[in-house]
Amino acid sequence: MAEPLPTLKKLERRTQDMVLTYDDGNTYTVTYDDLRHACPCAKCAPMRNEDDTSRTLRRQIEALPAEKPTVRTVGKYAVSFEWLQGCSSGIYRFERLHDLALRRDPDRGKPYVHGAW
Amino acid sequence: MADSPVTINSPGGQSTPASSEPTPQEQKQMEQAYAQMKRKMAMEEIGRKIKHKIMVLSGKGGVGKSTVSTGLALSLAQQGHRVGILDIDITGPNVPKMMGLDGRRLHVENKRIHPAEGHLGVKVISMAFLLEDEDTPVVWRGPIKLGAIQQFIGDVEWGELEYLIIDFPPGTSDEPLTVAQSLPDIDGMVIVTTPQQVALLDSRKSITFSESLKVPVLGVVENMSGFTVNGTAEPGTSLSIAGPGGKTLSATADSEGRFSVTLDIFKQGGGQATADEFGVPFLGALPFDPGFVRGGDDGVHRIVSEPDGPSAHAFANVVAAIQAQLSDGSDSGLEIV
Ligand SMILES: Nc1ncnc2c1ncn2[C@@H]1O[C@H](COP(=O)(O)OP(=O)(O)O)[C@@H](O)[C@H]1O
Ligand SMILES: [Mg+2]
Repeated sequence: MAEPLPTLKKLERRTQDMVLTYDDGNTYTVTYDDLRHACPCAKCAPMRNEDDTSRTLRRQIEALPAEKPTVRTVGKYAVSFEWLQGCSSGIYRFERLHDLALRRDPDRGKPYVHGAW
Repeated sequence: MADSPVTINSPGGQSTPASSEPTPQEQKQMEQAYAQMKRKMAMEEIGRKIKHKIMVLSGKGGVGKSTVSTGLALSLAQQGHRVGILDIDITGPNVPKMMGLDGRRLHVENKRIHPAEGHLGVKVISMAFLLEDEDTPVVWRGPIKLGAIQQFIGDVEWGELEYLIIDFPPGTSDEPLTVAQSLPDIDGMVIVTTPQQVALLDSRKSITFSESLKVPVLGVVENMSGFTVNGTAEPGTSLSIAGPGGKTLSATADSEGRFSVTLDIFKQGGGQATADEFGVPFLGALPFDPGFVRGGDDGVHRIVSEPDGPSAHAFANVVAAIQAQLSDGSDSGLEIV
């Protein structure tokens, strides 16, 4: 609907963060902590509804040992991250990754409600 | 009645009289052709807005096709996907019960059908929504016009979805064919079987059937695979349990005194065997879980009531196996280093 989404060409995993390269030539870094804090799964997403539970989620993620995830593409529309510890359920649509790259709220300000998209 | 999404033509066609002016009969045919074209366009639009369409089939009824369909949908929804279920099992559409939507009726607005929303926001359309009275689905026992199903599919307003799961009637009926021909780009079908021999024979029929439909088989799921008994005993105790078929099973209670034993109520491994024989993927086994769908009664699926339980995990594994099939060949071109 909004601006067209550039295509993600390359995802480079580093120790603490990943570098995303898009076909419009832009390159961004997203830390794994930010990535994991934005997990869209049905268990993590509701925790971001309130500031205090969101902080709890953040602290839980920051307490996890640093690790590089295994990354898989899901169809043509998303990427999943598998971690040895912590939540690996979320499927990150490319829009979500792009929002994270641009430091935008990937939930677009909407609280998580089951069934409301 | 004019707003009804389904028109059922009366049986017995009339003969067309030869004439130069359009007769009411010809007029009607033109209108029908136009409606048909509009429906085709609607189907194509649905095809575009729904990323993955997965058919769920079984050789016979009662093997858990609906339990698996709803389980897959809920498991996908748990991952954060937008998911819909289309229940066109006219022989006994029981998806609404399992999704906590018992007693719902078709919601039509501006001539479009709007899905009901079940657990975890899964959108549901069911033939049951058309029934006057759920206990007497007599209307649909008769020869239902396949055109009605087609029309039914084309008129649903799903919105954007990542997954649509379609629950078919059991066996090799005409409905799958109609749907496969109407909905573009079906990813494939999931065949549900139980470990029993008869059930296996039937799922073999389904696989042969899928080849005639030209829809790929994503794989075979074995349902009601084994029943796990959990219990407690003095830590370190060895237990021996008389299992089915005269087999003795043993278990040892762990340091916290917990033990679990899986009983093969039916013979296990049949799903894998069918998959091997036909060279299609085996997607995994689902345990026999008596409370799978307490939904039979109150509409709560195990995946919803126990999102971290063994049944939910078994479903998550099957979903992962399906997703692995789907990403095959549909590469996004992303380089991961
Ligand atoms: N894995 C399972 N464990 C226990 N009961 C099951 C399981 N799968 C299905 N059932 C039960 O078996 C019955 C038939 O299942 P259903 O999904 O309606 O089958 P189908 O759609 O193939 O006719 C239902 O009562 C359901 O609750
Ligand atoms: Mg059923």
